[in-house]
Amino acid sequence: MAMASYKRDAALDRLWRWFGQSWMFIAFFIGFFLFWEYSIVLFKIPLYILTPPSLIVTKGWADIARLVQYTYVTGLETLLGYVVAVIVALPIGLAIAFSSILRRTIYPFLVCIEMVPKIAFAPLFISWLGFGLLPKVIIVFMVCFFPIVLNAILAFNSLSEELTRFSLSTGAGVWRTFLKIRLPAAMPQCFVGFKYAGLNATVGAAIAEFIGSDQGLGFYIQITTGNMRPELAFAGIFFLTAIGLVLFGTITLAERLIIPWHISVRRTRA
Amino acid sequence: MTDLIELRGVSKIYGAGDAAVHAFGPVDLAIGEGRFISFLGPSGCGKSTLMLMIAGLLEPSAGSIRVNGTDVKGPRTDIGIMFQDSTLVPWRTVRGNVELQLEMRGIPVADLRERVTALLKSVHLEDFADRLPFELSGGMQQRAAFCQAMIHEPKIVLLDEPLGKLDAMTREHIRADLQRLWMRSRPTVVFVTHSIEEAVQLSTEVAVITPRPGKIETIIPVELPFPRDLTVKNSPEFIRHVQDIQEIFHGYGVL
Repeated sequence: MAMASYKRDAALDRLWRWFGQSWMFIAFFIGFFLFWEYSIVLFKIPLYILTPPSLIVTKGWADIARLVQYTYVTGLETLLGYVVAVIVALPIGLAIAFSSILRRTIYPFLVCIEMVPKIAFAPLFISWLGFGLLPKVIIVFMVCFFPIVLNAILAFNSLSEELTRFSLSTGAGVWRTFLKIRLPAAMPQCFVGFKYAGLNATVGAAIAEFIGSDQGLGFYIQITTGNMRPELAFAGIFFLTAIGLVLFGTITLAERLIIPWHISVRRTRA
Repeated sequence: MTDLIELRGVSKIYGAGDAAVHAFGPVDLAIGEGRFISFLGPSGCGKSTLMLMIAGLLEPSAGSIRVNGTDVKGPRTDIGIMFQDSTLVPWRTVRGNVELQLEMRGIPVADLRERVTALLKSVHLEDFADRLPFELSGGMQQRAAFCQAMIHEPKIVLLDEPLGKLDAMTREHIRADLQRLWMRSRPTVVFVTHSIEEAVQLSTEVAVITPRPGKIETIIPVELPFPRDLTVKNSPEFIRHVQDIQEIFHGYGVL
């Protein structure tokens, strides 16, 4: 009994502390939406240009079934493209980091391709592969692949001189050195790539859908804007943002679990 | 007395042609088993280069090095090594870092738990075994790194300015621990430093190294009793050794 109340007090205490740190941000957030809501009345902005948040919520709620279904479609494209990018880019980055031949061939090629705006390929992929899931996944993959690969190369190439020498002096083989030292040492820089790619992923999915699709949030935003329904377009943008937040949140959580010792994670924990 | 480490005409040149930097040598040197020799010199004199060549981590441009009866051809694994920046990995605890040395060598850790505990205790880290390196002070980190370099009980220990980044008081304290541990198992130690007092306090021999190109100017035997505590450090013999070395460096314009 006493234990339970102690637990509840501790939880309340934590909530209170969180509020103490965050109330300014919450207040600003609420203020922002209030300003949005009432500036429309105040400055007499026509409804077909900008809609108040209250209308976005009510009209969006009326169309919630379609929004949820399209969130699933776009979410799936984003997730597939991202996961495939991680699975493909990491080993390629690793191979380039350890092979001087690949570093002189594939690496400069990748850097050149990185200069090309990947989105420019989107219409081509749509025309090659049609309106389905695959071209969207490929476009998400392309915008996620490069940040992961380039950061992985950097990560696996920057072991400190001391740790390299230490590894050599133990006589450990390549594989053991990799597992026990190189791989964990490379994780923080790899996560820089994972996070950057995570930010790109929803952008890629939305633009791919703008160019050619018959479902998904990008399609929804385009159609509703064309039909002079900006409140629904805003609702679509909200759900698109939610996908991005969930993806980024998951990556950040994984980072905290995998490299809790790293300074970037330690700082946010304190 | 057998010589455990032998250097013959060893020199190191970085680069080639007109841009070549003559970093070190030629040097001849013999280090006996169980000795504690310091390479003492100003920064940039090549003393670390020399240590890395003994470890087989750097190839000499000329000459030959023999350690324990075999030519040094590649990285030697029968040594313990420690640098100014510690080789502690941030994702492992103090104990985990010490055990890393064993794991890397394929030595089963389970059999040696006691040894790790005892070694940590000997440098006053028993209460910090489960802490991560970032939770320790600089001095504690170097103590942990010392355990990591010693846990496989190497006959040869190479220390490259291990106390270089620490404050004066911490240095003094760790020096005393270092000396106590050396006296206990008497490994052969090569200790790189730029502190004259540190070299005289710890060493059986001090190799005085002059600036670039680095050369061993002289080897001074320090025949003072161990352990060299405050009484010894305040003795006229100790102070004379320090003054002699100061004069050598003064002559070269580095002091």
